[in-house]
Formats: sequence, C-alpha cells, structure tokens
Amino acid sequence: MLMCKDVACIASDYLDGNLNGSKRLSVKLHLMMCRHCRRFIGNLQESNRLLRAHSSGGADDELLNRVSKRVAEALVRQSSGKKPS
Amino acid sequence: MDTADFKDQEATLIDGLRQGDAKAYQTAVRAHSPGMLAVARFYLDPSSAEDVVQDCWVTVIDAIHTFEGRSSLNTWLQRIVANRCKNRVRNANREVAMDFSEPLEPGLASRFNAHGRWELPPKLRFHESADTLMENGALSDCLDKHLSALPETQRSALILYEAHQHRSDDVCNILGVSASNLRVLLHRARQKIFLMVETFQETGEC
Repeated sequence: MLMCKDVACIASDYLDGNLNGSKRLSVKLHLMMCRHCRRFIGNLQESNRLLRAHSSGGADDELLNRVSKRVAEALVRQSSGKKPS
Repeated sequence: MDTADFKDQEATLIDGLRQGDAKAYQTAVRAHSPGMLAVARFYLDPSSAEDVVQDCWVTVIDAIHTFEGRSSLNTWLQRIVANRCKNRVRNANREVAMDFSEPLEPGLASRFNAHGRWELPPKLRFHESADTLMENGALSDCLDKHLSALPETQRSALILYEAHQHRSDDVCNILGVSASNLRVLLHRARQKIFLMVETFQETGEC
C-alpha cells in the first residue's frame, strides 16, 4: 500500500500521466482516503497553473525602455572607443 | 505595407544599425525585442530571458557588420537569442550535479514522519484562480525571485514543459537529458514552486 510520502514522490508522474495502470489506481485509491494528499496534489497542480499564467506576459514598455537604455549606453561606449561589455 | 516596402524599410534600418545610429537601434529594439523575448522565454525564466535579450542587443552592435541578409533581420536576431539561451542551459547542465535518485526536496521530505505519513500536511488549499493570484504583484515578484534561484536546468525544464507546454521529448532534446531525469528535474522544480506559493499564502512573505 502506498504511503503519503510515496504519493509525494510520484505526484508529478501522476499529474503528467506517466504512471502505469496499477500504480495510477493505487494513487487514486490513496487519494480517496487521504485528504492531506488530495490537498497536496491539488496545490501542486494549482502552482503549475500559476506558473503558466506567470510566464505568459509579453514585453511591456518598461522592459523595452530598459533594453533601449542598455543599448544606448553600449553605443556611447563604442563610439568613445571602448569595447562594449 | 507590401513586401517591397517592407524590404526597403528593413534595408534602411539595417544601414542605420551598421552606422551605429541610436535612433535606428531604438526602432529595432521596439520592433524586434518582443519576438526575441518570446524565444528566450522558451528556455529561461522572465528575468534571465530579459538579461539574454539585453546582452544580444549589445552583441548586435558588433555583429551587425557580419549580417549578410540571407534571412530576415528578425530571424537572425531570434537565432542569436536561441543560441545564447541553449549555451546558457548547456553550461548550467555541466555545472549542476543533481542527485536524480532523490525525488523529494528536503523542505518537503522533512514533513513526513518515519512511517511515511504527513507530519506537517499542507494547511491551506490554493483556492484562488491562477489569474487572480497573478494580479498580486508581490506574488509575481516572488515567483520571479524563486524561478531565478532554481538551478538553470530545473528552471529550463519547468519553463519549457510547464509554461510553454513543449512535449517532453522536445524538452529532453533541448536540455540533453534522459526522459527519466527530466521527470525528476520537473518534480523537484515543481516542489520548490509549491513550497514558495504555500509560504506566500500562509505568511504573505516571499
């Protein structure tokens, strides 16, 4: 029988569908009985969603200004004869 | 704008870049950085991606003299970004020695008792939707900080697989790791993000 720690070890494999039929069934049975592991798996899944939402941002104006500033500084350094960093 | 106009405009822009014209650089940065950033974000976390894009533009000041126009400027710039990112990930791969036999982060492993049951189970459910949480600027900053602190290979695995939804065999190819090692990389990185979000929800601190 799977213990909570075993479930935590294979939680990503469970979420990604990498477990074979019997292992997957064992995890499901454990989750039916254990609210802590249900919460853990749910929260792990939710943090993955959070990460997807976080990484979908585009290039905002502030960022473009930072890039422009850095390039302008490098151009000035180059025109004054120093090698840009 | 038709194709001929576009080519004329691009040729004028490239001339400006070759002459080191600040205005041409400003135009090019505004036009091409979003695409370069999107490429860098395939490999890296947002803050490292921005670093790479900035570094690439500085490189372009010299490298533009070798640009032969066989591809569009956009493609050329994005290729430079992709190569830089891949080098960065490969170098990190060589540097980081990870124990692939240990699936749990120490911060999580210590929360189980000797019988393998939870001693410190998760207290809160992450109830808010991802979008609502991301409207919280402090959480977003905290995620950036923790993503930056991840070993580069773990971070790239997470960004490529989770954030950009690449297939696992593609991620293995890009990172040069086996499928089983990728599974460990992902699991370890996800646990760190989970622990971070948990601390943030419980204490409001990063």
